[in-house]
Amino acid sequence: MSDGPAGVRARLWDGPVRLVHWLLVALIGFSWWASDDHLDWHRWSGYAVLGLVVFRIYWGFVGTGAARFDSFVTGPSRLFAYVATLKDRRPSVTPGHNPLGALSVVAILALLIVQVITGLYAVDIDAIESGPLSDGVSFETGRTFAEVHELSFRGLQALVALHVTAVAFYFLWKRTNLVGPMITGRRWLPSDPGFARAPFWRLALGALLAAAAAWFVSTGLRF
Amino acid sequence: MASMMTTRAAIAVAIGIGAVIASGGALAHDHDPMPKGKISPATRAAHERHENFEKLGGTFKGLLDELKKDAPDKAVLAAKAATISTLANGLPTWFPRGSGVEARPKSEAKANIWTDAAGFSARASALQVQASKMNQIAMTGDVGAIKAQVRPLGGACKACHEVYRQEKKS
Repeated sequence: MSDGPAGVRARLWDGPVRLVHWLLVALIGFSWWASDDHLDWHRWSGYAVLGLVVFRIYWGFVGTGAARFDSFVTGPSRLFAYVATLKDRRPSVTPGHNPLGALSVVAILALLIVQVITGLYAVDIDAIESGPLSDGVSFETGRTFAEVHELSFRGLQALVALHVTAVAFYFLWKRTNLVGPMITGRRWLPSDPGFARAPFWRLALGALLAAAAAWFVSTGLRF
Repeated sequence: MASMMTTRAAIAVAIGIGAVIASGGALAHDHDPMPKGKISPATRAAHERHENFEKLGGTFKGLLDELKKDAPDKAVLAAKAATISTLANGLPTWFPRGSGVEARPKSEAKANIWTDAAGFSARASALQVQASKMNQIAMTGDVGAIKAQVRPLGGACKACHEVYRQEKKS
């Protein structure tokens, strides 16, 4: 797992980031499978994804170092400078998302938001399966939401494929194992970036917020 | 510095919201209206069929939306169920020969509707049975029984769509 003899095994990804990541992997796969014939489970899975996305955005503002948007969302100049180093066959040592990976994170989050929102209003062709907010739109509009839901899922699949390809590229070409740190939370880096920790109450508040949002939406915004 | 970082974070969220709005913009439904001028009876039938199915789906959705309410209006339920039954009874006449994709490219009607007319007709009859059942139950105003009839009725729609409908993006 080591990227080299020098450096330290630093704390990188906090527990919530890793948990959200792997839960999304599981739930996106599950939702895909359940979209065929198990729409009840598909809906529950969607509510869980909604909760995870709400939490991840919240955590992007108040979480530990590498979880925060302001630690990785960057401008074009740093992005292009990073792209220029892509071909170099040496380990990538950005502590956290590199500028290119940051784009992927934002794109995936954005498409997940589109997935969740279109799913809430979607109506299937037999009208019998529908999102919890679909009673606010007509049959035709609900059908259009369902079509966008399918279309944006193709986009999401493409982003996932790109993500996995990029991880493989880093492993094979740059000899950088990005999967290990997403499991253990720790990574060999030249020096410890010394990311700030987050107090437990922030995690608890975020989890509460996410669960409340998911529950509220699942009831069709009715108490 | 901190404020600059916050700006970037705000940009990230703005991109997410932008994506949602963009997808909302795509929601202007392409209705594919009936062509103007002289059109063949088959093309007219294909368009009218599409409108009828929109009406059928919309009415069934209206029934389901009413059932979601805390106190469903029994008169609304009965009216929707009656419309569904009437539409279902007319459904076999919506498919004159030649009114498939050759009459309207966006048509989702598969050719086996006509090559397997007996099978198609059997599924249409099954729908009529379930729709008529729903209509009778709805007239009694028994909300629990109406809810129990939702799955069989929706299942009849699905059973036919699975075999005779080719999904297309609008």
